Amino acid sequence: MNVTEAELKQRTRRRFFFTGLHLCLYFSFSLNWTVWGNFLADRLGASHITGSLLMFISLILIFIALESVFLWLSRQGERS
Amino acid sequence: MRHLLRNSFLIWMCSLQAHSALAAGAIEGEVTRQPVNQTAIIMFLIFVVATLFITWRASRATTTSSVFYNAGGQITGAQNGMAIAGDFMSAASFLGITGLMFIGGFDGLILSLGAFGAWPVLMFLFAKRVRNLGSFTFIDVISQRLERNPIRLVTAFSTIVVVVMYLIAQMVGAGKLIQLLFGLPYELALIIVSGLVLGYVAFGGMLATTWVQIIKAILLLTGVTLIAFLLLARLDFSFSGLLEQATLNHPKGEAILSSGVIFKDPVQILTIQVSMLFGTVGLPHILMRLFTVPDMRQAKLSAYYASLFIGYFYIALLVLGFGAIAFVYNAPEFFDESGRLIGGSNMAAIHIATAVGGDVLTGFMSAVCFATILAVVAGLTLSGAAAISHDVYAEVLKQGEPDPKTELRLTRISVFLIGLAAVLLGIAFQHENVAFIATIPMVVSASVTFPMLLLSLFWGGFTTRGAIWGALVGLSTSIVLIVLGPQVWVSVLGNSEALFPYDYPALFTMPLAFAVMIVVSKLDASARAATDRDNYQALLWRAEFGESAPSG
Repeated sequence: MNVTEAELKQRTRRRFFFTGLHLCLYFSFSLNWTVWGNFLADRLGASHITGSLLMFISLILIFIALESVFLWLSRQGERS
Repeated sequence: MRHLLRNSFLIWMCSLQAHSALAAGAIEGEVTRQPVNQTAIIMFLIFVVATLFITWRASRATTTSSVFYNAGGQITGAQNGMAIAGDFMSAASFLGITGLMFIGGFDGLILSLGAFGAWPVLMFLFAKRVRNLGSFTFIDVISQRLERNPIRLVTAFSTIVVVVMYLIAQMVGAGKLIQLLFGLPYELALIIVSGLVLGYVAFGGMLATTWVQIIKAILLLTGVTLIAFLLLARLDFSFSGLLEQATLNHPKGEAILSSGVIFKDPVQILTIQVSMLFGTVGLPHILMRLFTVPDMRQAKLSAYYASLFIGYFYIALLVLGFGAIAFVYNAPEFFDESGRLIGGSNMAAIHIATAVGGDVLTGFMSAVCFATILAVVAGLTLSGAAAISHDVYAEVLKQGEPDPKTELRLTRISVFLIGLAAVLLGIAFQHENVAFIATIPMVVSASVTFPMLLLSLFWGGFTTRGAIWGALVGLSTSIVLIVLGPQVWVSVLGNSEALFPYDYPALFTMPLAFAVMIVVSKLDASARAATDRDNYQALLWRAEFGESAPSG
């Protein structure tokens, strides 16, 4: 196997890793509708913000962060 | 008494919204025509003049099929990201999600996350590889390694199904929305929408469509930002204070801050999530936008910028949704004598604009909604025309060597025919429940386009026979299960109980399509299958590096 084939496999693995991580986080949102996610209905301290609402905002920000990391890694790979 | 009526309205809307607000059409059911809104019409006319000027400029550059389909590949990643956001953030997103939150609070957010979740997948898996392999449509990508004619015909057919169904839902929603917002007759509204879209697409092609979508996205993001700012300003910029005010007004109280007001079944949530995510990734008019940028790096940036804009939009809608509960629920001027919200729950977003910004902001947001419809319909029309003239005529009938002038002429004729069909179908379905029509594109896209695209790009064993059988099974089971589901079996056909319990069957049809594609491909011992498998390595190289594999 030459370097470029190894690079190709590494890039494909990276794509699947990020997609898998993203899908796990994405489908974790359905916890809100199960008994395992009951704790998410609790309010955070004295505020009216619940765990569910915090999870929604956090997931959007985490997805964007994941994309940023993926882009950065891709750029590093292309440079090298 | 009014409070009791409002509670009854809430229960009725919860059951209705669970079906209709998930759909692409923003307004369902009969609506009452409102008085003519002059502010909205003036603001909309300004938008039309600006976009027609851009179309006139673009039409001078649109002399070849390449410029027509992909704007000559000259759009930057940031511009394309904004255009994708403009293509995707429909009136259904703005009005439907805010309306659903108005009814059920947190539960409405499942649609926001469902739609947003698609963009990272598009970037991780497809943006670069699709851009490197295709020219004008995603069908170019699939037909690179599989047998060209049958694959193009099957995928072009599924694309046309998706586009036509999406278009009907958009047109019916548009007609009713414009009746409500502008006070114009339904038929006139459809003719205006179709006429303007024909002008943009037929003369300006992808270049004009891109700029219409960019301008619309900027206007929509400006509008939601302004409303969110004015809402929060009323409560000293306290989001917690906004939520507190909302819980005080809503009959369900603090229950609206977490799940369970509208949706209770976690399997139903999964069906929505699967359909929204994989359906969005496979939408042909979204995938087509990846070919408008000059290279693979700009394609990835397009998906990234689209995520930023769309993510921001959905976070702003969170404020608008709870803001509507906080400031519209207790304002009698937004309810009629029977205690129903004027125009239905999908008008909550417009009412909140009135509550915080008066007539000027209402007019502005109404004009933005109209512009939103134009941008989405333009993208769909262009995608449908490309499937007919490029995928069927140029690539199948002319075997990839069409006369360029004839192809461009046929594209413009296709645009005209799609526009005409959109008006006629919009009028034909005027009094129908279009919720099921709006469901079909997402489910078909998730069950046909997504599996074909994923396997053709990532699995060497994929064959033409597997692709065709899987696509046919995905397409047919999607339509059968939608017919047996609540939206058609109960709401349209009037039966008491659905034979299949879920509105969005993609949770079941997508894995089935994958299974058929994989099993048939593995069993395929034909000569063509060997060619399909041999083609993979070269395709993989070109997809990842944008160049041919080194020899030896």
